Amino acid sequence: MAAAAVRRALRAARPPAVSQRGLAKPAGPPSARQLREADEASPIFQYVGKAVKRKDRVFVWGFSYSGALGVPSFVKPDAGWKKPRRIQATPYRLETDEKITSAACGYGFTLLSSNTTDITKVWGLGLNKDSQLGFQRSIRDRTKGYEYVLEPSPIPLPLEKPQKTRVLQVSCGRAHSLVLTDSEGVFTMGNNSYGQCGRKVVEDEIYSESHLIHQLNDFDSRVVQVVCGQDHSLFRTKKGAVFACGWGADGQTGLGHYNITSVPTKLGGDIAGVNIVQVSSYGDCCLAVSDEGDLFGWGNSEYLQLASVTETTQVNVPRHLPFKIGKIKEAACGGTGNIVLTEEGAVFVWGYGILGKGPNVTETAVPEMIPPSLFGWSDFSSDVRVARVRCGLSHFAALTNRGELFVWGKNLRGCLGIGRMEDQYFPWRVTIPGEVVDVACGVDHMVSMVKSFM
Amino acid sequence: MCPGYSGTRPPRCRSSSSSSSSSARGTARPNPALPAGRGGGGAQSHGTLGTNRGAARGSLTRSAAHRPQQRGPHGRPPQHGAAPEAAGRGGMAAVPSGLFAVYKAPGVAWNRVRDAVEARLLRELNAAPARPPRSRIRFLPAASAGPPGLVAVRVPVLAEHRLVRGPRFTQLKIGAGHRLDVKASGVFVLGVGHGNKLLSHLYSCHLSKVYTVRGQFGKATEDFSDTGKLIEKTTFDHITREKLERILAVIQGTNHKALLMHSHIDMKTQEAYELAVKGLIRPMGKSPPIITAIRCLQFALPEFQLEIHCLHETQQYLRKVVHEIGLELKSSAVCTQVRRTRDGVFTLDDALLRTQWNLQSIRSAILDCQLRVKTELEKTMGHWDGSVLQEMDAETAHTADS
Repeated sequence: MAAAAVRRALRAARPPAVSQRGLAKPAGPPSARQLREADEASPIFQYVGKAVKRKDRVFVWGFSYSGALGVPSFVKPDAGWKKPRRIQATPYRLETDEKITSAACGYGFTLLSSNTTDITKVWGLGLNKDSQLGFQRSIRDRTKGYEYVLEPSPIPLPLEKPQKTRVLQVSCGRAHSLVLTDSEGVFTMGNNSYGQCGRKVVEDEIYSESHLIHQLNDFDSRVVQVVCGQDHSLFRTKKGAVFACGWGADGQTGLGHYNITSVPTKLGGDIAGVNIVQVSSYGDCCLAVSDEGDLFGWGNSEYLQLASVTETTQVNVPRHLPFKIGKIKEAACGGTGNIVLTEEGAVFVWGYGILGKGPNVTETAVPEMIPPSLFGWSDFSSDVRVARVRCGLSHFAALTNRGELFVWGKNLRGCLGIGRMEDQYFPWRVTIPGEVVDVACGVDHMVSMVKSFM
Repeated sequence: MCPGYSGTRPPRCRSSSSSSSSSARGTARPNPALPAGRGGGGAQSHGTLGTNRGAARGSLTRSAAHRPQQRGPHGRPPQHGAAPEAAGRGGMAAVPSGLFAVYKAPGVAWNRVRDAVEARLLRELNAAPARPPRSRIRFLPAASAGPPGLVAVRVPVLAEHRLVRGPRFTQLKIGAGHRLDVKASGVFVLGVGHGNKLLSHLYSCHLSKVYTVRGQFGKATEDFSDTGKLIEKTTFDHITREKLERILAVIQGTNHKALLMHSHIDMKTQEAYELAVKGLIRPMGKSPPIITAIRCLQFALPEFQLEIHCLHETQQYLRKVVHEIGLELKSSAVCTQVRRTRDGVFTLDDALLRTQWNLQSIRSAILDCQLRVKTELEKTMGHWDGSVLQEMDAETAHTADS
């Protein structure tokens, strides 16, 4: 009797089980009723709310030993099991403090900038032997600077109103860099042996560990775009004029002579009076696009870049390139090849090298179109078009309106980011977990600004 | 002594089936020295009656002496083997051969569908009227009332009677093409007779299949379908059609890359460039499942419908894709329906419904699809030797005849 009471009490104390399967009943697929009950009983998790914002991310890939990728553990592993990674063959996420709005890849270094009003607006990473990243004070020895910057480090710009001025754009050349602000002109730093920084050439100047950042303010109107060639600089102003300074032996300054220019001077030739809306350069050749869709070029033409209008291999005055391919929207210049994007979304390439039309097409003086089916266009998805084109020294990049990145060209030290080390003879997708907004191409590395999917 | 049989109609011997004329021929005169049971027959159809009678005379006379005389009126020896049997005891009952598609309903396994089609076809083939039974002349003892001796009597050959031999067809070779699992439905290609050889050829063409897949946001289950064990429930009100299409674009992009990589073509050649421009690069061997195209047809939270073109897939893989789309959208999704709308050249319009699984519809379905299958095979296997295509031509001629 007492035992029974104890047993009853014990049974009452135990909480009733949720779903008791008697041992006599066999297990089996859940019946509809069981499914419904399990469905109603389970809690609902919320991972993101309705107002979820898409995050901005930066992905880098290519040659890492110069520090241009900004991941120190690739160069100096911080854990015993990590090995130095010379080449990052696929996109790798770079953590940044702020949203990066503009990026530029130089020859072994990178500049990242944000249009914030915070004090730190520009970060530099990579090679700093000519102070192209400003003075990066070494922690170990406070008097010396770093030769290689392995992590994104702030560049202190001598701004007058650091909490009001915004940095709009950055550009990098071989050993110099330009920073464009909205109200304080252009800041230049780095090597000035050819006057590419826009200041007078000082003989035997030592450029490493230099604190000097020059400010350029003297243009006919506000500067809206800065472009670095290999050893020269181009400035496009709001009025549609183009200014140049730097090395001119190939005529890349476009000023009518082959000498060095150390003060930004306005270009003439066929672009005098023309409203230029975009300028591009990376090697020794330059291209400019007018608001009416015309294309102008000057500089080196050894690789047939300007052979359609002239036989000379150095053109020092801007010449109009009368290509009958439609209105040009955007142009990009590489070391040996050029690429343009027309208003209809067609992509044309010409020059020398791996142009993207298979291994047989290695040089052409006249633009050839790359078929849109290589960029993901098909009968099934017929609204895919190329939105942006970019050029590195020996490779090309194209962004579609769906946020996909296509690359092709010479795969120098894994700069294409396709996971393979072979050259790519036609456009190939780069797998990035996000929608690519912009991409900057360098010699052997690339940086992309990406928005996450959600 | 010989009975008067001059007025009797000659029996149709088996060799006459291949030639269509059935007009009066000379009588196959049975040699009175031999048992009459041998008239016009091949080796298989010997009934026991004839054998018994022949055994009484001695087997040697049966085998050696009679064969040269057992010729049909046209001088053609009777043909042996079952093939002529199939081809022509009643031209309408010929076994169809070729490829056709049926619609598999959800909830039934693919081999049951195949068995049901086979059973139906067998039933109809066996029900088709056989040709009238042969008769033969036998010399039977006269009725006790009349004078003693043998009387010529025409009796049917019971050896060929249906109740003696059983149904004419007990088994049909019906092969299945790309299978569908129990929960999926849609176009299911079957091959019958000689068409089974085409099945393997079609498989090696590696054509893509089209599915419509329905999914539902808000749940994640163990087997990615809505009837599985529930793992988690999530919110989904943040999902918009635009976000879904962004994810689908990425899926299509990465799968396109996989398509090019698994085709094992050297990307550095001009040939690879030209094929890539035309969009003809395709894996022609084994590869993991690849989605060649995906898009959203309908979107009404929490449900959505996708159209997926894929290669080398399984239906469970498609359910997994739906689950992963849910994960990418920071929610969860289960697949409620997988329906194949196209398998290579066979579309939903070609698929036969259950009410149409009969001989006539299957025959006409085979005829309709024949040309398409042939062009597709030629396109893909154009560089092969023409033996397969010759077979197909023979098929076409054969089915056109019957």
